[in-house]
Amino acid sequence: MTKHNCIVVNLDKCLGCYGCEVACKMENDVALGEHWSKVILRGPLGEYPNMVKYPLPTMCQQCENSPCVHVCPTGASYRDPDTGIVLIDKEKCIGCKYCMMACPYGVRDWNVATKTVEKCTLCGHLTAQGELPACVKSCAGGARFYGDLDDPDSDVSKELAKYAASDIHTLPDVGNAPATKYIMTSIHGAWKEGE
Amino acid sequence: MAIQWSLVLFTAIAGAGAWLFACVGASEFKTFGTKAVWPSSIVALVLLIIGGFASLSHLSHPERVFGALGHPTSGIFTEALLLGLTALCVIVYMVLLKRETGEKARKVLAVVGIILAVVFMFACGSSYMMASRATWNSIALPLGYLGTAAASGCSLYLLMCAIVKDDGAMGFAGLASTGAGAAATVLSLVFGCTSGAAFGSDAPVFWVVVVVCGGLVPAVCGWLARKGGDKTLAYAAIACAGGLAGSIAFRAVMWMVGTAVMNCFGITL
Repeated sequence: MTKHNCIVVNLDKCLGCYGCEVACKMENDVALGEHWSKVILRGPLGEYPNMVKYPLPTMCQQCENSPCVHVCPTGASYRDPDTGIVLIDKEKCIGCKYCMMACPYGVRDWNVATKTVEKCTLCGHLTAQGELPACVKSCAGGARFYGDLDDPDSDVSKELAKYAASDIHTLPDVGNAPATKYIMTSIHGAWKEGE
Repeated sequence: MAIQWSLVLFTAIAGAGAWLFACVGASEFKTFGTKAVWPSSIVALVLLIIGGFASLSHLSHPERVFGALGHPTSGIFTEALLLGLTALCVIVYMVLLKRETGEKARKVLAVVGIILAVVFMFACGSSYMMASRATWNSIALPLGYLGTAAASGCSLYLLMCAIVKDDGAMGFAGLASTGAGAAATVLSLVFGCTSGAAFGSDAPVFWVVVVVCGGLVPAVCGWLARKGGDKTLAYAAIACAGGLAGSIAFRAVMWMVGTAVMNCFGITL
């Protein structure tokens, strides 16, 4: 049975330290100016005095109906049948960049050296050995979680279970059903993505 | 979003070629002069080939392009297939024309060529209909591709007729340019209004180059050139230049207004 592995980010705990971004670069040897993971500082949003500002860690959202996979002409973008993770076979990538156009969030990047598209792999080389993705391991605030959404005992499921549905968010969904979840309660701010 | 010029030129050039051949095909059903048929067929084939190379130049690893054969539902595969079929249609038509044989077969190929010109350009535009880019995700986009390609191809046919002095075909060519120019005007306006290109910072390019040069100029010049005369070549040249400029500009504007839902990494492609 295909798993639904993804990242859950608890923004109530996120420090905005960019540690996940740095760890990703170090682990995956992502070149200067290129990203697989990036923290965006959102805001100030809203109107005074009800304004919010929060760090938003972004990476491949592991969409269940992933448009990048649908448009890829060679099958280079594919969903791994075992882990359910959307991956790129760089040996098949022709560099047409259609997947970059189709990604609603702009979280695929161009590797200048290999002239192929790259993105977050959820550190498959680590998770295959039972380790956590580098961004999760290095998160100073303990805000990032990795696991199978369908497994109630996974870290992501257990963290999500602590919160009401109204506190759990995704990036704007245009039919792609992003699997990545963001937790943000009203104590710490208001979710503004998609507004 | 950065303009992907190789993709712009691919559909603009190949579209002009496909519609030039569609005009040649339409002339199969008329009894007027046929002096422009052979040179127009050659030009159409050359444009299709150049368009194909422009498409390949967009790829960083063209040597892996045959991997697309395993995924026949992708937009790139469909575009490549239709481009190849159109080129094949032109080649077979030219062989029959040169051998002065197969009159019925030529008519069949003419009909196939016209259908392919429509389907090919519509398919090229529909490849960009993506939920991630709201400005593109409308039927107005492929219709705009279709209309502007028709205007450039028909006005090019008008120019070919003017160059070879195919006076018998000028009436049809002029009306074709007028009709296609009018269609390009309407369809471009629909895309401009639905995507916002007609109102934003890119509005000057849209109105001047896409609507006026790409639509109105081929329409007006085609009308003026339809009865022949001393200025026919000048009118045809202006119509063709306008049609091609409009077709290219329409595709460039598409990229200029093509913003994604979010652009987290700040990528411009």
